[in-house]
Amino acid sequence: MEVKQFSSIFENGVTTYCPGCEHGLLLKFIGMALDELGITEKAIMVGSVGCSTLAYKFLNVDYVQAPHGRAPAVMSAIKLLEKDKVVFAIQGDGDALSIGIAELMHAANRGIPLTIFMYNNMVFGMTGGQMAPTTPEGMKTTTTPFGRDVKQMGPPIDACKVLSAFPQISYLKRVVITPKPIYTKDRVMYSSKEAMDSYKAVLNAFKTQLMGGFSFVEFIGTCNVNWKMTILDSKKYVHDVGVKVYPPGLCRDVYGVDKK
Amino acid sequence: MKRLIMGAKAIAEAAVRSGLEAYFGYPITPSSEIMENISVLYGEGKYPWFKVFLQSASEIESVNMLFGAGAAGYVSMTATSGPGLSLMAEGISYAYASEAPFLIIDVNRGGPGLGNVAPEQSDVSFVLNSLGHGGVKPIVLAPHTVQESMEHVHKGFELAFAYRTPVILLTDALIVHMYDTVEWDPPYVVKPKVDWAARGRNYGQRHIINSIYLDPPELKANKERLLQKQKEIEKIAESECFMCDEEMDVLYIAIGISARISKEAVLRLRNEGVKAGLFRPITLSPLDKDGLLKYSSRAKKIVSVEMNEGQLAQEITRIVRRDVEVLPYLGGYIPDVEEVAETWR
Ligand SMILES: Cc1ncc(C[n+]2csc(CCOP(=O)(O)OP(=O)(O)O)c2C)c(N)n1
Ligand code: SF4
Repeated sequence: MEVKQFSSIFENGVTTYCPGCEHGLLLKFIGMALDELGITEKAIMVGSVGCSTLAYKFLNVDYVQAPHGRAPAVMSAIKLLEKDKVVFAIQGDGDALSIGIAELMHAANRGIPLTIFMYNNMVFGMTGGQMAPTTPEGMKTTTTPFGRDVKQMGPPIDACKVLSAFPQISYLKRVVITPKPIYTKDRVMYSSKEAMDSYKAVLNAFKTQLMGGFSFVEFIGTCNVNWKMTILDSKKYVHDVGVKVYPPGLCRDVYGVDKK
Repeated sequence: MKRLIMGAKAIAEAAVRSGLEAYFGYPITPSSEIMENISVLYGEGKYPWFKVFLQSASEIESVNMLFGAGAAGYVSMTATSGPGLSLMAEGISYAYASEAPFLIIDVNRGGPGLGNVAPEQSDVSFVLNSLGHGGVKPIVLAPHTVQESMEHVHKGFELAFAYRTPVILLTDALIVHMYDTVEWDPPYVVKPKVDWAARGRNYGQRHIINSIYLDPPELKANKERLLQKQKEIEKIAESECFMCDEEMDVLYIAIGISARISKEAVLRLRNEGVKAGLFRPITLSPLDKDGLLKYSSRAKKIVSVEMNEGQLAQEITRIVRRDVEVLPYLGGYIPDVEEVAETWR
């Protein structure tokens, strides 16, 4: 098979993320989509704080590093001043839904044409696996050693439900980026459906921005290191538990980009 | 032509005429009139360069929008007061570290906490002693009249872009709310080339506006670079010495409205034959250390007149290394000319 070279990705797509983590996959899809749409040159990435902070090392686009949770505010200003450019961010679930939920909601409410990719690994990855607003009930983290107590902490926050409240969002979608393990008689294989779905969502989110709309895609992914699981178990966890808490699906598609 | 104008309106006019491209703000007394006046000028649409006016959802949003605008090389500004400035500290630190220019008008009100909305100068220590985590030294300008406020807005834009740094214009509720005569029409600030800005292959190059340097040698190098820039910024230090002689009985030190009132006290004392003078930092950071040392050495006594507990005196003492008497006004009171003069009599 011919390997496509992505001009938006340095070093032929080799990242320094933990083995088994889909943060790197997401970067590759973003790079591929920028190339496919021919918008690498006019893309500006705003970095959030979390594992995605390292993205600027791998995507060959202009970059502004925002404070934790504030990427949507930084992006809004840039987009309002540079209307012809494509402005996007990768936020973690902690960045977007804990410290930065206000900035995210106000940017979404204004409907400024921006694209936000949220990597939901259900914990704070960068800081060592503490509870996030998205941590499922009962999940053990370094700050919930006996499992998340929803009586005290409330249930996990569902970004797509929260954002559905804002009428000026044009594209809102949740996909699973973790390849599903398929058990055969003598080995484990991985499905490619998740990768295809995720790539399509990235592409359509950018298309929506180009058409003048705000787009948000949530990617359900793993953090095997902080979940303290093997890579295989972490992938299994996403498909056994993750998809039940966060069912994938299209919440909104004003321009009909998903159908095309 | 001389005209009478309110401080807030003058600041708004100066900003827009000087080339303001984006305003982001969150209302807070006593700064809101600046934003309101700017919204009118934006709505009138007479200034083609003025692209964006947006009421943010918080000062956290404001500062990060300024940061985004600065990172993309646009002239941007906000006006706020103490509680808002506290919320902006993190963003100012990021902007300082990654060299994004913008101007913040800090209209001081009574603090700490919610305090009150009367004039104080209680943010002096905050802006001078690291405005944000990690060692942050923005340029700080301190006008004492409405006309000077206009000039400082203009100069604020120039300095922000010349040195790629956040600039704070420190003022107070009194100057911003007073009607004063001005005789100055700000010219348009011609922005230097922003070939460093992150706005999508600007000048054909990739640009990274960043403050993360995970390796200690890299972070050390960046800090050293910022400190070197700080040294260059020392050159812009500016001060006024009002009625300063070769020998003085008393040298007052004050900024903003305290300086304006102290000038009156100096004149009264002069009438009585007292050799009084006033040293007024125009740039509060960098402070004109040479001027301060020169003039303070000529005075028998130094009195710092402040609308706080003595925050400026703390800075002054560090430099002059001798006793500085403080005449503090707390809670929203403004200096009284007679009381100021009384510190010598
Ligand atoms: C103001 C502030 N508070 C806390 C932190 C520490 N911090 C860095 S990343 C992070 C959480 C990241 O989690 P998430 O957004 O889910 O991203 P992930 O690393 O899991 O991809 C925290 C709390 C910070 N950098 N700044
Ligand atoms: S800490 Fe978790 S989220 Fe971060 S790179 Fe490693 S596996 Fe991925």
